[in-house]
Amino acid sequence: MFTELNSILNTSPDSFTRGEFILVSDRQSDASFLIHHFLSFYLRARCKVCFLGLAQSFCHYSAVSQRLAKEKGQLVFFEGLKECLSVLTPKENNVESEAMNFLRDPPVGLRSLYEFVRSSVIVSDNMEEGAEQWGPSVLLVDDLSVLLSLGVDVGAVLDFSHYCRALVCSQVQGNMVMLVRCNGEEDDDDDDDDDGDVGSDVLLKGLTHQCNLHLHVQGLPTGYCKDIHGQMEVCWKRRQGDAPHMQKNLFQYKVYDKGASFFARGTSSAVL
Amino acid sequence: MLSELLQGIESGGFLIIRDSCRYSGRDLLKSFITAALNREEVIHILCFDVSEEELKDGLKPSDTQRLHIHNAYSDPLGWTGHPNFTVQQFSLEDLTNLVKQTSQPKPAVLVIDSLSWILRHKTPPAVCQTLQQLRKGGAVRAVIGLLHTDMHQRGTVGSVCHLATSLISVAPGVKGKEAVARVTKRSKSGKVMQDEEIFCIAEDFTVTILSKPSHAEHKTNSTEEEQTDPTANLTFNLRLSDSELEAKQKLTLPFVFSKEKKTALLHPGPGSGRILYEPDANDDYDQEDPDDDLDV
Repeated sequence: MFTELNSILNTSPDSFTRGEFILVSDRQSDASFLIHHFLSFYLRARCKVCFLGLAQSFCHYSAVSQRLAKEKGQLVFFEGLKECLSVLTPKENNVESEAMNFLRDPPVGLRSLYEFVRSSVIVSDNMEEGAEQWGPSVLLVDDLSVLLSLGVDVGAVLDFSHYCRALVCSQVQGNMVMLVRCNGEEDDDDDDDDDGDVGSDVLLKGLTHQCNLHLHVQGLPTGYCKDIHGQMEVCWKRRQGDAPHMQKNLFQYKVYDKGASFFARGTSSAVL
Repeated sequence: MLSELLQGIESGGFLIIRDSCRYSGRDLLKSFITAALNREEVIHILCFDVSEEELKDGLKPSDTQRLHIHNAYSDPLGWTGHPNFTVQQFSLEDLTNLVKQTSQPKPAVLVIDSLSWILRHKTPPAVCQTLQQLRKGGAVRAVIGLLHTDMHQRGTVGSVCHLATSLISVAPGVKGKEAVARVTKRSKSGKVMQDEEIFCIAEDFTVTILSKPSHAEHKTNSTEEEQTDPTANLTFNLRLSDSELEAKQKLTLPFVFSKEKKTALLHPGPGSGRILYEPDANDDYDQEDPDDDLDV
């Protein structure tokens, strides 16, 4: 968890806005360090976390706290890579989970994946005695663009994120964090681009319309720098009750072994 | 023109608010809803994009008698098995039934948030057909739709916007709370009027038109730049002293003729050379008979 990011976003594990959809995106950069931040943030806030790990295996995210959380039932980790194998190479004894059935038949869409999310997020009423009471449910997805490269249609991914938002943010009043990655340059109206990039751009635009908070990570426009790893644009959509306008802020960041630091443009410790 | 539209949409009118990721048109949509509620109109909202609570947030609670929100947000595709309103129900019969259910005497205004959701699941021709039938049908007095232009191809956006009687494209303004609206209005006689205005929306969703974007501001306001002196800062001298300046001005150039010089050349006076010509016998050359000088 990055304390500087918490102060930028004005949240803490003890008090955060509920019912929010946080979109993390990157363009020709890697924003997955933010997913690590949100994972440890919500685990520390004692929320019940459902993590769709489509890009990496569980070991990638596992710190001691995460492993403990998984054992206690606070963290439900859906390991996309493992489930893929069970669908693609079905063995006799393997009970294959339905969640990844879009691999065999992409037009089917992501309804089964949504059903999996629904079953993890809705807290069952008949809980065992002694089971711990966790806070609001949180859904973390890393990352949605993988679904595009697996052959799922952009519309199906947008429907999936819509249903997850309706379930997690509105019905259960929990939070949702999704990571989307774009490859190409930002184009204005070019229809001549190859289809792969256009798909992820349309997905990003669709998700931007749906989200409450957008963190967009990019490399520095001036090129590579040893001390500053990139810039992050924070965009707050209108929150309920606030005056209707959109607020944007730009920060630069540097990622360390055990954390990341964020600072205003031009105030990096290497410069000052 | 924006304030005229806010005061009322004519019968059979179809207004589209076009927005993009950079600026959401939902606040302007809510301003239209608020204005219509203040005019005691009945409003039906097809709510796809956002939840009912988020849409109602900020609208005055006393007006909810005439405001009917149809929740198509929780289950627009029927995944849960008991959907309230699905996207497949966007057709003339279903919508007419939906509006008639509330049994109000006046025909209602239908607000669609958003058209983009429907366009992702139904083909553009089907959507256009339904919209056109709704306008002519009579169950609905006017239609207002929100369209996210950056989520569709230009052809799709163009086709749907072609049906509209009024179009408002919103974009972020220069200063924080301001936004720019480009309004296009098509009247029944076929006349098209366009205008561009800067506006801002208050917390109670009243719209304040600030000013027209003054294009003069974009031109440089600075006075004409001073003429730069090309003879300054050189390693050689390009300047003329006073006597040199005088001599230069006195100099007459060889092929620049003043009026006097022209008349002197054209009308030679006495004393200038004269040319005397006495034709020789041999010079008598008859054009028609070139062999005239032959002594044959």
